[in-house]
Amino acid sequence: MIKLNELTKVYRTDEIESTALNAVSFEINKGEFVSIMGPSGCGKSTLLNILGMLDKPESGSYEFLGNEVAHLKEKGRSDVRKKNIGFIFQNFNLIDELTVFENIELPLLYNKVPSSERKQHVNELIEKIGIAHRASHFPQQLSGGQQQRVAVARALITKPPLILADEPTGNLDSSHGNEVMELICDLHEAGTTIIMVTHSSHDASYSDRIINLMDGQIVSEKKNKLAKTAI
Amino acid sequence: MFKNYIKVAFRSLNKNRTYAVINILGLALGLSVSILVFMFIKDETSYEKHWDGYERVYRTGIKASVMGQTMDAPVSPSPMANTFRTEFTDVETATRIHTIKQEIMVRYEQTKVYIQKAVQADSTFFKVFDYEFVHGDPKTALIGENSLVLTEESAKKIFGDVNPIGKIVKYDNRQDFIVKGIVKEPKGHSHFQFDMFMSQNTIRNVWMSNGNYTYVKLKEGIDANAFLTKMRRNFMKKIEPDVERFLGTTVEELFKGESYYEYQIMPLKDIHLHSKKEWEIQQNGNIIYIYVFIGIALMVIIIAGINFMNLSTARSGKRAKEVGVRKVSGASKKMLVIQFLTESVIQSFIALFLAFILVELFLPGFNNILETELYLFNSYIGETLVFSLIITIFYGLFAGSYPAFFLSSFQPIAVLKGDFTKTNGGALLRKILVITQFTASTILIIGMIIIFKQISFMHNKDIGFKGDQVIVVPIQTDQMSKNFRNYKSVFLKNSNVLSATRASFYPGDTPNQNMYLLEGKKDQLPLWNMDVDYDFFKTLDIKMLDGRKFDREKESDSLPYFILNETAVKNLNIQNAVGRKMSKNEGSSDNSNYGNIIGVVKDFHIEGFNSEIRPMVLTISNDLWFASFKIANKDMNGTIDFLEKEWGKLETSHPFRYTFLNEKFGKLLRQQENFGTMFLFLTILAIIISAMGLYGLASYTAAQRTKEIGIRKVLGASVSEVMRMLTKDFIKLVLIANIFAWPITYLLAKNWLSNFSYQIDIPILPFVFATLLALVIALITVSFQAYQAAISDPVEALKYE
Repeated sequence: MIKLNELTKVYRTDEIESTALNAVSFEINKGEFVSIMGPSGCGKSTLLNILGMLDKPESGSYEFLGNEVAHLKEKGRSDVRKKNIGFIFQNFNLIDELTVFENIELPLLYNKVPSSERKQHVNELIEKIGIAHRASHFPQQLSGGQQQRVAVARALITKPPLILADEPTGNLDSSHGNEVMELICDLHEAGTTIIMVTHSSHDASYSDRIINLMDGQIVSEKKNKLAKTAI
Repeated sequence: MFKNYIKVAFRSLNKNRTYAVINILGLALGLSVSILVFMFIKDETSYEKHWDGYERVYRTGIKASVMGQTMDAPVSPSPMANTFRTEFTDVETATRIHTIKQEIMVRYEQTKVYIQKAVQADSTFFKVFDYEFVHGDPKTALIGENSLVLTEESAKKIFGDVNPIGKIVKYDNRQDFIVKGIVKEPKGHSHFQFDMFMSQNTIRNVWMSNGNYTYVKLKEGIDANAFLTKMRRNFMKKIEPDVERFLGTTVEELFKGESYYEYQIMPLKDIHLHSKKEWEIQQNGNIIYIYVFIGIALMVIIIAGINFMNLSTARSGKRAKEVGVRKVSGASKKMLVIQFLTESVIQSFIALFLAFILVELFLPGFNNILETELYLFNSYIGETLVFSLIITIFYGLFAGSYPAFFLSSFQPIAVLKGDFTKTNGGALLRKILVITQFTASTILIIGMIIIFKQISFMHNKDIGFKGDQVIVVPIQTDQMSKNFRNYKSVFLKNSNVLSATRASFYPGDTPNQNMYLLEGKKDQLPLWNMDVDYDFFKTLDIKMLDGRKFDREKESDSLPYFILNETAVKNLNIQNAVGRKMSKNEGSSDNSNYGNIIGVVKDFHIEGFNSEIRPMVLTISNDLWFASFKIANKDMNGTIDFLEKEWGKLETSHPFRYTFLNEKFGKLLRQQENFGTMFLFLTILAIIISAMGLYGLASYTAAQRTKEIGIRKVLGASVSEVMRMLTKDFIKLVLIANIFAWPITYLLAKNWLSNFSYQIDIPILPFVFATLLALVIALITVSFQAYQAAISDPVEALKYE
């Protein structure tokens, strides 16, 4: 599904140039659950951003679903992203002025799905995720765990083939964190490709493969034969 | 999609109420100003447009210079209107009027009513000006010699509810008139306002005497310029006999030199705003004020719009996360732009609603100052609404555009992970906008001070006479006029009546111009003439510069005596005037009665502050129709009662009517004063809006720098040091604004002042004052926020992250 080849990203300020990613290459197959780990500043968030087409690489190639997307303009990236990628962030990133229902509905709106269909999809999903009773509440009225569940729902609503998660449990306590990981596992079992950036070995143990980054380069890759599955 | 935008817009406004209020209130103020100015301009430009066929109506005028005598006035001779009707095929109709400048007493049985604005008109008047007739027939109402038409209001005053058609009234105790028509007040504004119309159909066949106003209505499709050429050709032939009779020469000879006699026409609709000649029927408006109001209104609108842009951009940090999330969720830049524009348009419409409320609140005061009668739901409410909508949408789109584009260009990763408050996007633009606001405000403050200084100057200018405690009384009967000098002793019996005099005119009237001969000089001198009696200089406290006043002991009535004013002596280059002989040129005969120039009087304004003083000659006369009395400061009402009683004994048919000389004179300044007051109001508004904008910006900046403030305090900064840090930048901006404002204001002020014959020198004080005022306003506005931030607990600030 994803093929990266010699991908490089450089950050420049007035005086300093730092290479966040240095000729990174790897492949990810459809349906895989991959974790990306490494110390702070190693470039994992940068990698995730490029994978999610939120940022452009300096050089190298990025093939997504068979198409070269590395140097697409924003509109092009936005189009691909809209249909194919869902995001889960560490700090949830819900819009405070929208209700739970409206937050989840948002990607459907931007994909021009008609009103009645939207309603149906959202209602199904919030039942599934278990937050139907909070549908008309605002993010400020929810606990961290509930907010993340909403964020997950939003990521899923368009049924994207790829989910990118950036430290999804980073702001949650352990029990809520587990809930969210289980949700993600469910997705994986249903066939969604998942790429997750994490600090937590515990979380990484849910995935099929772990890629370790250091100073912008891949230092190791290992398959996780003992992947935990949902109980 | 829009539902989502609208929902978010309202919720976002609700969440940030202070900013919402500042933004919307500022916009509302700007909008209300634009609506008021629109209404005013619509009103001012609507004059005459209610008359049927107004586009084809023209008023004639004459611009002439004959043997040194000049004239530029919309007047015309008696036979002109009839000539139009009978000799021009391009003319549909024409009419002639003669205005009566004093109030006229009209009597019906026991009721006496004073009509202020009477006019004599020929029978075609109502064909040109289609007043609506309640009773009577417009075609015949002014036929004959004793016909009278009244307005409904005048009729009610005289007759109550009785139908007055056919009734006979006594006009000025002299003549009987039959009421032949009652008309409604016209539906729109006009450059004249009449209460009573009297028929006047006799034609005096003199072409060079111009005591009327003539209006000509052309047929459809006639080119005015071509008509004017034909008109001039015809009329130049008509004046030939008069030129020979009165000037003793031929037209050809006359115009060989520098003399000219040019007939003119002015479209009826242009009179109110563009005609500023002598002898206008009433004071017209002024197109300059229209331009100035538009200019100021634009400034206020721009300031409010800038606020909106500034505050929205400044607050963009708070929306950044939302932008990132929306983009990640699939929004394109275009969709985000539309979303934010929708929000600003919504805010504009809320502001519009508020603006209409403000307009209703401001209108009474506005009408009071500008002496208008505007109200929202008048005949052009539709246009006002359309205009308001356009401005609102424009505001929403234009003012919202920068923030919209700015916000929607945020890159998701920049905003979703990082602390967006760190970016300084749009900082330069914000600074430019604040500078622009304060430049405009400073210009307005300085301008306002200069305007009031000029008005005060005109008020206090040495007008050359003392008009306080002087009342002017028109004389209505021959008897009083002939015998006034004998009656003076009766009035002076009361010790509070300090002096009594008469003159041929008082402020508001224009004197006559005649030709004079100076012994030893070949050329005739055109001088403006004022007839007075012996006590004139004493009553009005006018000073002599040379020679002596008129003295009844020293003079015999056989030879004329002359007093010239300063300007006459200067302009006409007369050396050693006192003692020289001059005479009035009565015609082409040689019977010039030479008399002595006995004195030179200090210039005095008798016409109004803004008219230049004309070269004048004063002579003694007994044929004078305006009396005036100087009364003591104590018990003025008692003194006036006394005068009224005594006057009533001597002039029984007409009662005693008086005005204070200062009031009459002061009225001439009113237009300027109204303008000044309006300017003040708009300036205050502009300052309020600028201050609001600054307040919003300051609080945003303080919030931005919370962490920095916390750290500084932990490291030992005092409250005042923190405040200084926060206010420094704003003060710099205000000072820069003043650097721009000073030269711009200087140029504008010079331009405006050049409209006045007597103007102040532009002083430096208003500039300094305005700068200080702007600084004080800025300081107060910003310091409040700065203080709040400075006294906050550092711990709170550091926990911010």
